[in-house]
Amino acid sequence: MSEPLIVGAVAYTPNVVPIWEGIRTYFAESGDPDTAMDFVLYSNYGRLVQSLLAGHIDIAWNTNLAYVRTVMQTDGHCTALAQRDTDVGFTTVFVARSGSGLSGAHAIAGKRLALGSADSAHAAILPMHYLGLAGVPAADMAIIRFDTDIGKHGDTGRSELDAVEAVLSGDADVAAIGVTTWDAMGREELMPDALEVVWQTEGYCHCMFTALDTLAPDRYTPWLDTLLAMDWDNPAHRKILELEGLQRWVRPHLDGYKPLFAAVEEQGIDPRW
Amino acid sequence: MVILDLMRLTATLADGATGEVRIESAADRELAERWCARSGNTVVGTDVDSSGAGTLTVRRGHPPDPRQVLGPDRMPGARLWMYTNFHCNLACDYCCVASSPRTPHRELGADRIARLAREAADWGVHEIFLTGGEPFLLADIGTIVRSCAELLPTTVLTNAMVFKGRGRRALESIPRDRVALQISLDSATPGGHDAHRGSGSWAKAVEGIRLAMSLGFRVRVAATVAAPPPGALAAFHTFLDSLGIAPDDQVVRPIAQQGVAAKGQILTRASLVPEITVTAEGVYWHPVAATDERALVTRQVEPLTPALDEIARSFAEQWARAAKAAELFPCA
Repeated sequence: MSEPLIVGAVAYTPNVVPIWEGIRTYFAESGDPDTAMDFVLYSNYGRLVQSLLAGHIDIAWNTNLAYVRTVMQTDGHCTALAQRDTDVGFTTVFVARSGSGLSGAHAIAGKRLALGSADSAHAAILPMHYLGLAGVPAADMAIIRFDTDIGKHGDTGRSELDAVEAVLSGDADVAAIGVTTWDAMGREELMPDALEVVWQTEGYCHCMFTALDTLAPDRYTPWLDTLLAMDWDNPAHRKILELEGLQRWVRPHLDGYKPLFAAVEEQGIDPRW
Repeated sequence: MVILDLMRLTATLADGATGEVRIESAADRELAERWCARSGNTVVGTDVDSSGAGTLTVRRGHPPDPRQVLGPDRMPGARLWMYTNFHCNLACDYCCVASSPRTPHRELGADRIARLAREAADWGVHEIFLTGGEPFLLADIGTIVRSCAELLPTTVLTNAMVFKGRGRRALESIPRDRVALQISLDSATPGGHDAHRGSGSWAKAVEGIRLAMSLGFRVRVAATVAAPPPGALAAFHTFLDSLGIAPDDQVVRPIAQQGVAAKGQILTRASLVPEITVTAEGVYWHPVAATDERALVTRQVEPLTPALDEIARSFAEQWARAAKAAELFPCA
């Protein structure tokens, strides 16, 4: 029997503990001793990636920015293992007050754009990237940043709520938020008199389990296969999946990280952030 | 905006924890309830004034399925407790219903018990518990137990000190296959037991346990213990092992501040998972509070079905509000 794999994650909500205890129990009960795992929680993604590189942990549960950062710092000597189904096709939604009359990326030009935490790929980095691709450079907007919870890469969602409140109070015209935040608000269904969608980016990828390429496939393959076997229709698995925000784990969709690699380069994002 | 406040709140709550948000109007409340329903969270309390302004208490996540948490055998309605009588040969100083030789009998009566058992079985009750007082002081206890055991598995709570003469004959008349005896014994040696129940009671109880086992009864032993000294519980379990009591039939429960108990665990209807309890005076929420007016569900004993329905409904509401607040007071 081999030593348990050590998985690192960032504690961005009190529910991170039950999530990872549930995942650990799931692996312990799988019946395969080669899938045994334990977890370590970090306060921020910078420390998580640093620990992966230092060999303190075997696998990091990375945000998309933390994954990109790992690739850049290892010159690609890392392995993408798995992600949530909800990490594939993630988008950023630009919202304005209902009745704003704003529609499409070009309508955001000349407006006050509220962004979330500077280290949030979905609420700060990629919104600027996609607006640039659409022909709306940063210089054409008044950018208002809400750098709350820096280090957690936007996981808490707090900076996005700050950005939305700025729109509702009239301090900003448009806010860039993740589609999961927009869903969690209730979209137009619960916001018909408050907010409306101005524009939405195309899909990109979010979180990713990441290992260094020094972790041998025979070490991570049993663990990975067991992870992918979690079943939404199993009530015990479902509780964990619901808390972590997915229906099933999927294999990596690496094309979905290209926009963020490009954004990090063009915006000069510190690869060690 | 209330949705943003709710999102900020729930982001800080562990699953199952609760917090409060301010609302300014009935419209806010409606929106909050719609958001909770959509997002899988639960409004568990409302405190608003006539204008609709006030606070909502919100629970992170859905309440868990009580069947999973409690187990199907502990769901309200799975068990029916009947206080056959309230008089007792002992006057224990922690008795939750203040039984003693001088206590008015308040007997349910064999005929009524038989009817209640039938109605309970038809409703869906799984198991009957007969308690008192001391049930074996009743001349017709054999008839009572048989009438229940014909319908459902039945446990009789006794101090096992009256298995002489008529009591012995009643005991021997009881079928063994669907009946268990739950005998009270508080300690491995006479000291702790006799201090609450009277000198010499430990030896008689142990004698009663041995007799019941020799007659082929399943015997569960239940101790009522406040603050056992170090090692006392281990010694108690070792003693019960030596008597041949199965580990699952060794129950240790705290003293409840009910009846004549001046000290003990304070139990309220809101903090107890109900175990429906019938006495001659009414239907109660739980056997540990069977003389407590605050635990009274209804004075109407028959028909029992309305009370069973009411307790199941009340528990469902209570569970949705609190989920984990209610606790199991282990009477059996």
